Amino acid sequence: MDHETIERLIRLGLYGTAGALLVFLWVPLVVMMVLSFAVNSSTLFPFEGLTLAHYGATFADSGLIGAMFTSMAIATISATIATVLGVLASMALARYEFPYRELYRTLGILPMVIPGVIFGIAMLIYFRTLLGIVPGFWTVVLTHSVYGLPFVLLIVTSRMYTFDESLEEAARDLGADPIETFVDVTFPVLAPAIGAGFLFAWIRSFEDFIRAFFVRGTANVLTTSMFSMIKYGTAPKMNAISTFIVFVVAVLLAIAMNAGDVASYVADTDGE
Amino acid sequence: MGDSSSATFRDRLLSREEVIAWFDSRRRSLGITAGPALVWLVLLLAAPLTFMVSVSFVNVNESYQIVWQPTLANYEALFAGGGPLFQRAFVQSLVLSYAIAAVTTILCLVLAFPLAYLLARKGGRTFKVVIFLVLLPFFTMYLVRAYSWYLMFGPSGVINATLLKFGIVNEPLAMFSYGVTAIIVGLTHAYFPYMLLSLYASLDGLDYSLVEASRDLGASRTETLRDVILPLTLPGIISGSLFVFVPSLGAFVTPRFLGQGKVLMIGQLIKDRIGSLYAVGYGSAASMFIVVSIVIAFAVAFRYVSIEDLGGI
Amino acid sequence: MSGNPSDSPRTKSHQSRRAFLAATGAAGLTAAAGCIGGGGSTPTINILTWEEYANEDIKSRIEEEVGVTLEITKSTSSSNMFSSWNAGQYQQYDIAIPNNNYVPKMMDTEKDGEPMIAPVDEEAVSNFDAMYDVFQGFADSQFTANGNRYGVPIRFGWYGYSYDSRSVPDHEDSYKALFDENYVDADLSGKIVMYDNHFKAMSAAALYLGHGDAFEGSRVTLSQDQIDEVKQTLIDQKPNLQGYIAADPTYIKSLKQGNFVIGQSGRNEIVEMWSNDNDWPSMATPKEGSLAWFESAVVSSASENKTKSWEVINEYISAKNGATLAKTGFSPSVNPNTQEQLTDEQNEMYGAVDPSRLEQMIPFKAVENEDAWITAWEEVKSA
Repeated sequence: MDHETIERLIRLGLYGTAGALLVFLWVPLVVMMVLSFAVNSSTLFPFEGLTLAHYGATFADSGLIGAMFTSMAIATISATIATVLGVLASMALARYEFPYRELYRTLGILPMVIPGVIFGIAMLIYFRTLLGIVPGFWTVVLTHSVYGLPFVLLIVTSRMYTFDESLEEAARDLGADPIETFVDVTFPVLAPAIGAGFLFAWIRSFEDFIRAFFVRGTANVLTTSMFSMIKYGTAPKMNAISTFIVFVVAVLLAIAMNAGDVASYVADTDGE
Repeated sequence: MGDSSSATFRDRLLSREEVIAWFDSRRRSLGITAGPALVWLVLLLAAPLTFMVSVSFVNVNESYQIVWQPTLANYEALFAGGGPLFQRAFVQSLVLSYAIAAVTTILCLVLAFPLAYLLARKGGRTFKVVIFLVLLPFFTMYLVRAYSWYLMFGPSGVINATLLKFGIVNEPLAMFSYGVTAIIVGLTHAYFPYMLLSLYASLDGLDYSLVEASRDLGASRTETLRDVILPLTLPGIISGSLFVFVPSLGAFVTPRFLGQGKVLMIGQLIKDRIGSLYAVGYGSAASMFIVVSIVIAFAVAFRYVSIEDLGGI
Repeated sequence: MSGNPSDSPRTKSHQSRRAFLAATGAAGLTAAAGCIGGGGSTPTINILTWEEYANEDIKSRIEEEVGVTLEITKSTSSSNMFSSWNAGQYQQYDIAIPNNNYVPKMMDTEKDGEPMIAPVDEEAVSNFDAMYDVFQGFADSQFTANGNRYGVPIRFGWYGYSYDSRSVPDHEDSYKALFDENYVDADLSGKIVMYDNHFKAMSAAALYLGHGDAFEGSRVTLSQDQIDEVKQTLIDQKPNLQGYIAADPTYIKSLKQGNFVIGQSGRNEIVEMWSNDNDWPSMATPKEGSLAWFESAVVSSASENKTKSWEVINEYISAKNGATLAKTGFSPSVNPNTQEQLTDEQNEMYGAVDPSRLEQMIPFKAVENEDAWITAWEEVKSA
């Protein structure tokens, strides 16, 4: 085989694998979306026609929608806490040398690395057995605020490392005081990273099942409701709510990608 | 003293200069920036984990009260049962979980590399579309992704139903039923984006003139891949592998739905003991094995990469 | 015994209101005060129980009759009800309705030197005397200590196995159909399911192996050797299984789809399929013995509304609510008067089931040496 042929084969192989991968990533989701409109909602064949009834039933299910609002409330509160703590901690890490700095950093990243089952159980026995707190809405908020912290920390610190501190010096040389410098120079540069960090922490909280499962007490969140739907084989509503979520995420992602460099933020924070 | 200090305090509240001066102290600003997260992490991360470690070494009585006497009973319970050691539930489950996590990691690595390479070399519109198509599943709920495979697999799942419909097979194929295969596929689908993004981050920073130089100097493609590309992307490979391996090891939802009860991964074993029996001693002891193996995995990884290389940290 | 999922708008409207409160940040205050949905003079009764008890007709009738607000949390296993109460949730709930075998366990559990559950307020449970004699007897023998009764039976049923009569030929009902490949004249490999529950699956294997006498005392007593034998039997069976199934609706759906043709099941699943015009499933009552259960209500000793709670429980066994509950869960009520509220066809299926049939069955009971059972079960699952 000559050089050209090999080159072409390699390119074909690369594109082939890449294409196959996209198919692999998308086929199950597309099938699920199709099923959400199918009368027979659990498998493609026998095909019995199309309907919107599953969506009607899903949005009429006040328990499910209520659980979704609970999840949104938990995600908002916990991501806010994570963002405030994470931005402050990032400033400390990026600007100051202090004893046990690496330990501090590791501790801040740990919640992202510990498997959810273990973190959930640790929180459950801590709240219930040691502190005697009855698990519920607020224990989920506390747990998720810790879980979301690493995502803020990672995104904001990496932004701070690339931040050109001479900008701040220039502002000060031009007579701005530290507060003005922060408000007019530092914050605008960091804002997209802070926003991305918040969004990540929010999504992680919203999609978390296993941590919430342990510490939710009697509160219902979206993921635990969805879990029982799968367990009880309630396919129609599960397909519809899942498709709805994919759709919302797609719209938000498209907006975000047009607004900023999402890919590089994501690359900063891989890990569960 | 009370009067004077409250006066100063009010001055500080009112005077901008005072505030600035106060913040200007390095110790104070360090305390303000590092302090809150430290308190939070100590109270809600270090304390629960430390408590969990101590619970694994004590007994819990019938009323779930802790009996504060050191014991190894929980660790002994992990290995209870008859027969050879490797047949005990905990050992089998642990070994199976390692195997599943390892296969998943390798699959992700092999599948993600070509795509990451292409993404790093291409730009523009194609890049944006592809990255969108990859990121969308990534941002979609983990539970939804596991569920979508739950629909695909199974004796009458979408794959088997389609094969039957078009007469490709006469009987549902066992390999498309629930089981270890389905779990590995589900986990690969769930954690693949982490691998891709890690690889992408390191390939993106790769200086391709090195690749060309290597080719110009007469190295074959395999040699170039082995001697130039792989070493330079090693940090990405290692961090990507960690972020696939660790969550796969502790997975619960995916094996729960794609195993149809026939496969017991370690996350399920621990969760069942806690969920239905509140066996916190047993659960804590079992968790220690996972935690320790994760610590080892990271320690090994840090021999080859620095913490800064882990996904751009 | 969880039946089909039924929605309960009442609970749900509470949840969404709670969600709304949470969203506005007010939930913390109300949750801390423990009076979500409370307010005013109507007490809230928190119940931890099976799905069907949240049926909206029953719920609104009880709320009106007793003058309370019901907050129902669904659970899918008795062991979960027991362990969550034991771990402290008895302070959050007024009522739990586990299977009968968990009532003695709850009676034996002490909190601050007192039993975790409160004695029955006999005056509040006026329907007790209407109950089948056999259940009054069970309540006396199983739920009574120091002259106090602690639990009230609500409804009952039993486990055996069921099969698709179109592909599994008739045979004498025996667990051999599940474990012995040659017993039934059909290839069942890969088409069998078992319960994903150590007690139910292991009991079936033990009965198949002829260890029926282990079920005779007040507790199930299998020796370690017998447990090992049961374990090996289940491990040998595993390659022939389609899977282990945890929830009844999954069983029904999967049997309808033809994923399996024979499986361990409760009678209520099959009755549900019959009433939905599927006449092909057959219910088998194995000759080695079936496991019978009856759910029984208990009231937490920490409840602030004990009398109201017992009144709520009393309503669940009234003729009318008992009949609705039987209809919802396809399982008969302990109150024979419910038959008057049901059609002949309904009575045949789940209304007028003579509980004397239970006498040949093995009532659910606590297990001796449960740790060994669970260890063996985990070995089966991980094999």
